[in-house]
Amino acid sequence: MKRSIASKTLVGSLICASVTAGLLTVPAKAAEPVTLTIWTFGEVIQPALQREYMKLHPEIKIVPIKNDVDPLHQKTILSCQTGGPADIIAFETPYSGYWRTGNRPKCFQDLREMKTSSTNAAAGVAAGQSALDIKKNYLPWRWEQGVAFNDSVIGIPTDVGGLQVAYRTDLFKKAGLPTDRAAVSKLWPTWDKFIATGQKYVSKLTPAEKKAGKAFIDDAGSIYAAVMNQGTVKYYEPNNTDAGKLVYKTNPQIKTAWNTTVKAMNSGIGARLGQFTSDWNIGMNKGAMATILAPAWMLDYIKKQAPDTKGKWDIADLPVGGGNQGGTQLGVTGYSKNKQAAYDFLTWYLAPEQQLKVFKTYGLFPSTSVLYDDAALLEYKDEFFSNAPVGQIYTKGVLQLKPIFEGELQRTIDSKFGAGLGRVASKKMTSEKSFALVISDIDKLFKN
Amino acid sequence: MTQFKASQGRKKAPLTPWKSKTKKPLPGVGSLNGRWGYFAIAPFFLIFLVFGVAPVVYSIYIAFFKWAPMEDPEFNGLNNFIVLLQDSDFWLAIRNTFSIWALSTFPQLFIAISLAAILRNKRLKGKSFWRTILLVPNITSIIAITIVFQQLFGREYGLINLLLALIPGVENIDFIEGVIPSHIQIATMITWRWVGYNILIFLASMLAIPDELYESASVDGATKWQQFRYVTLPSLKNTITFVLIVGTIGGLQVFAEPQQLNAEGGSSKQFLTLTLFLFNQAFLNNKYGYAAAVGIAITIIVLIISAVNFWITRKISGEGK
Repeated sequence: MKRSIASKTLVGSLICASVTAGLLTVPAKAAEPVTLTIWTFGEVIQPALQREYMKLHPEIKIVPIKNDVDPLHQKTILSCQTGGPADIIAFETPYSGYWRTGNRPKCFQDLREMKTSSTNAAAGVAAGQSALDIKKNYLPWRWEQGVAFNDSVIGIPTDVGGLQVAYRTDLFKKAGLPTDRAAVSKLWPTWDKFIATGQKYVSKLTPAEKKAGKAFIDDAGSIYAAVMNQGTVKYYEPNNTDAGKLVYKTNPQIKTAWNTTVKAMNSGIGARLGQFTSDWNIGMNKGAMATILAPAWMLDYIKKQAPDTKGKWDIADLPVGGGNQGGTQLGVTGYSKNKQAAYDFLTWYLAPEQQLKVFKTYGLFPSTSVLYDDAALLEYKDEFFSNAPVGQIYTKGVLQLKPIFEGELQRTIDSKFGAGLGRVASKKMTSEKSFALVISDIDKLFKN
Repeated sequence: MTQFKASQGRKKAPLTPWKSKTKKPLPGVGSLNGRWGYFAIAPFFLIFLVFGVAPVVYSIYIAFFKWAPMEDPEFNGLNNFIVLLQDSDFWLAIRNTFSIWALSTFPQLFIAISLAAILRNKRLKGKSFWRTILLVPNITSIIAITIVFQQLFGREYGLINLLLALIPGVENIDFIEGVIPSHIQIATMITWRWVGYNILIFLASMLAIPDELYESASVDGATKWQQFRYVTLPSLKNTITFVLIVGTIGGLQVFAEPQQLNAEGGSSKQFLTLTLFLFNQAFLNNKYGYAAAVGIAITIIVLIISAVNFWITRKISGEGK
């Protein structure tokens, strides 16, 4: 007995010693330069905040490497099989279903196993917090999009892409439509009313304006995603399995969204300017569209692309209400050599304080729901959009959202429908023929 | 006959006298003649084995499997090939690839030869300047070129359509959705990138044509056009073959330009090329095995074209002599 006590004491003191040694070496280690490589896209990693963090921690260098969303996804798949240089990778919500299923969660570090160090204690992130401890700060369904089906936490949500309608007050006025945002929102309680409003607007355009390609909405095709996301099921139905049940042939929501979009296209309210093309950028400046279905993250893009339209925009509610498009998770890669530093950065960067700053400077709407009753968010107004209370408008929209089960090949299937609608818009195919081709294209995905 | 005599003379007095004086080869190039030579060429073949042959062999192997990333491959027999032959997208990709190839190669040949003929002019000022400028598009990134060309070819506000709008009754051309217009846009980008390089090749081979040929032609009263037609062009035959072969290889690999316009090759896959089709199967649709089968199909197509090329070249050079 004595001997075992002695050995226990020995073990105990060894543990104590190693812990003390560990504590003693922490400051020395922290001074060691660490480079955090982040694979990202768009404005997910904000330069201003990146600089702020590097000022807080001179020993940490943050190197964001940008790709487009899809190439980034391909890179992530390859790097997961071979290892790679990235410590943190951003993945967009349409791809979250892919990373959550099968054996793919192992590509990311399970953040439940991580604990924040004391390095950001002064900056508001308490030490010793695992992902489960910070979960309460986030919108629950949004958090789930970063939780794999084996319950490991593979990503922490950044923004939520609440969707609203950005509209041009000056053009609305010219067409004899109301300009006040409450009155405008009342114009379109349904999508049919939205299309009718668009037709009214287009009928007021002069023939010269029509010939110049001006119309009501930038791209009628964007209605599809908006309507789809107002449902609860897209292409996969939850059935208590990881994969979900494929319902792309049977889900009535798809037909509703498709038919609404085709109706909008046929009514001629769309300028057929594909989003993020050069025509779209120019058209925004030329007033080629009076409305854009704008997720919160697009507001900053509009500001940058069409600075001269400042004050001419305003934001109204989305028809039916509750829209969503996009949103991103940030995860720590399984092969990262700087997991602790990466996790410390993420917990700081995605903490409510920082997300509020991101929203105010860049318009990305935070998924940290603790902010949703924060006056700083609710009272935030944007001069560019006629002082619209963007915080309040997008909060309202986001709170109406219903969680959607995102399946494995969500994004790929989405792109097939996008192409199908493109064929209808360019009048290369009838709606029925194009829809049939979409379904057979998706069938092919699951063939061999 | 003279050559025979010369070689006889060579026996008596070797042209490389140092060889007979020293038995040992001198250090330097001479020492590479023995087994050291293998050593010198080994790096290329080793790297080629690892990065060239091995992937080819491996991709033949995986073409018989159904294999998604991070999952275990599953033997699939000839299924990938059967599906491929029935895949309408594959045949569409073949059509698009050859259409884009033709639209880029032949105008390019014409432009390159004409411009080279102009640059050959001895009285042209700032020759090296023009020749250097020609290569600039070639070293520009494809992505940058695509961004610029998208502004040129934009449906609503593209420069080309703005100019077309000046002609009454002409409708805007959709250079993305239209089949031939989209091919023209891609072919223009390819031409823009490669025409300068081809001009230099033609120029080099034009400069190698002896001046005497032109002098005697002009003595015979040939006009400038006749000189070009009957002196320059026939001398360029081999170069044209070379440019065609290189162009065909490049044409079958067209990838970045269409991918930049639309990752899936357009809404009705109107500019899906073979390489883009392969890439999308592997990396958009996560079908590694199927993509490998596409790769093999492309290889077979290349082999067929090479055989045709070889045959034509032989025919041309046979007639030349």
